[in-house]
Amino acid sequence: MSTIEQTASSLGLGAGSVPKPSDAHPGSPRPTVRFAENKRALFILSWVAPVVLLLSWETLAGIGWLEPHILPAPSRVLLTAYDLAVNGTLLNDLATSLRRAATGFTIGGTVAFSLGTLVGFSRIAQAAIDRSVQMIRAVPFLAMLPLVIVWFGVGEAQKIFLVSLGVSFPIYINTTLGIRQVDPKLVELGRVQGLSTAQLIRRIILPGALPSVLTGVRYSLATAWLALVVAETIGAQSGIGFLAMDAREFLRTDVIVLTIVIYAVIGVLADAIARHLEGRLLAWHPNYDKKNR
Amino acid sequence: MTAQSAPRPAKPAAVVTALRRAYGQRIVIDNLDLRIERGEFVALLGESGCGKTTLLRAMARLDPIQGGTLDAPSRPAVVFQEHRLLPWDTLWRNVSLGLPKSGARERAADALTEVGLGNRLDDWPRNLSGGQAQRVALARALVQEPELLLLDEPFAALDALTRIRMHGLVKELVSRHQPGVLLVTHDVDEAIRLADRILVMRDGTIAAEHQVTATTETTAKRVELLAELGVSTNDNTTTNTLRS
Repeated sequence: MSTIEQTASSLGLGAGSVPKPSDAHPGSPRPTVRFAENKRALFILSWVAPVVLLLSWETLAGIGWLEPHILPAPSRVLLTAYDLAVNGTLLNDLATSLRRAATGFTIGGTVAFSLGTLVGFSRIAQAAIDRSVQMIRAVPFLAMLPLVIVWFGVGEAQKIFLVSLGVSFPIYINTTLGIRQVDPKLVELGRVQGLSTAQLIRRIILPGALPSVLTGVRYSLATAWLALVVAETIGAQSGIGFLAMDAREFLRTDVIVLTIVIYAVIGVLADAIARHLEGRLLAWHPNYDKKNR
Repeated sequence: MTAQSAPRPAKPAAVVTALRRAYGQRIVIDNLDLRIERGEFVALLGESGCGKTTLLRAMARLDPIQGGTLDAPSRPAVVFQEHRLLPWDTLWRNVSLGLPKSGARERAADALTEVGLGNRLDDWPRNLSGGQAQRVALARALVQEPELLLLDEPFAALDALTRIRMHGLVKELVSRHQPGVLLVTHDVDEAIRLADRILVMRDGTIAAEHQVTATTETTAKRVELLAELGVSTNDNTTTNTLRS
């Protein structure tokens, strides 16, 4: 169900295809049918603006009002994409970038989830760790970049470290939060049913914390991507960011626009995967019920 | 209970002696004695704040006691006022929570069949009505074959008709499984309907005790019990009801 439909049905504007009894009488108002038409109209309308924008961009570039080195035509960017994929290093660079993101995400995510779990469970761990983490969190992690370069140079380690750093805070915070928010009544029930501590964690606390943890994962995917863009812009020898910086040297605006588009597409895909994961893992959760989507 | 001809086991389901329960300086239960036999259904009536839930929680070993002795199974089964089903587990997984893995699904299926939900094994708790959810909670308690079953106002949140149906179900299940039962409630009719023995709790001790038999004149008993709860049937009813 699209967002528009969802909004409309939550406003009580109608119940989809189920006609109201009053529809049978000629001359009476027919809100259901009118609404169905509206729904489609609104959906089309929501796509009109982006398409018009793209078409005018193409036209303006075609008649030469837009200089190619300022903003190349969308068709030109597509051709460049094909060209680079077949003859160039685009797929290689893409793979490199994805590998960096995945490695950084795995390392940062694992460390943050472990720390978050520890702090969520133990008041002692919280006292020992939480304040320091919160203080470091106050630093915008990209401000650490010069320091990270001093530590690791501009090699792979610097990029992966930066991604890990960006990923870790959303996951840490949402893990501790999720564990804290598990209903104490359910924990008490677990004790009544005679669960061991390990069983209590596996059957009650982790499932209870999962919605929050997955929210953290979604946030962290965005920051991982941001960290990668920045890290690859500085001293990379491969990757999407390198492609962009290399293209800048030769004023290949079409390549630069292409890299921007690739970053956007991957960001959207990553979010879609995370959403799908939420839908699968949280099938029990009323908020993630497919019928409500 | 009379339907069961088997002799009652000699060992009682729970014995509480001189129990003392305090929150800091405030004493909630003082010098309380209670004995529940196997197969016996005891209802504990009392006003809000009289300590009846505190007693149940102490007997469930959810809270520590500050004095006296508690001789009860290490793991009594408890049904709370809220169903406390895990929303992320299917019904059979909820019922088998805490059971050994082997044969867990079969035992859960049997228990769910007993409460009339044998066809909903793989359903989610969110698809249940309040009464159905509480029936699952009951199945989860009984699947453990407890010697002692503690019921903490389990029907308070249900509508009147559902509650009456639940009373019948509980009575039937208890007579079949024969645990000792302690039912905490403030519903006099519920106590009379279900219990063999009714205790009235006031100020942290047992203030009165009644045997309920088939020949008990229920109306008179009801008036008497209501009076003991501080609810009389004369002109200051409203005030008293508000107070309780």
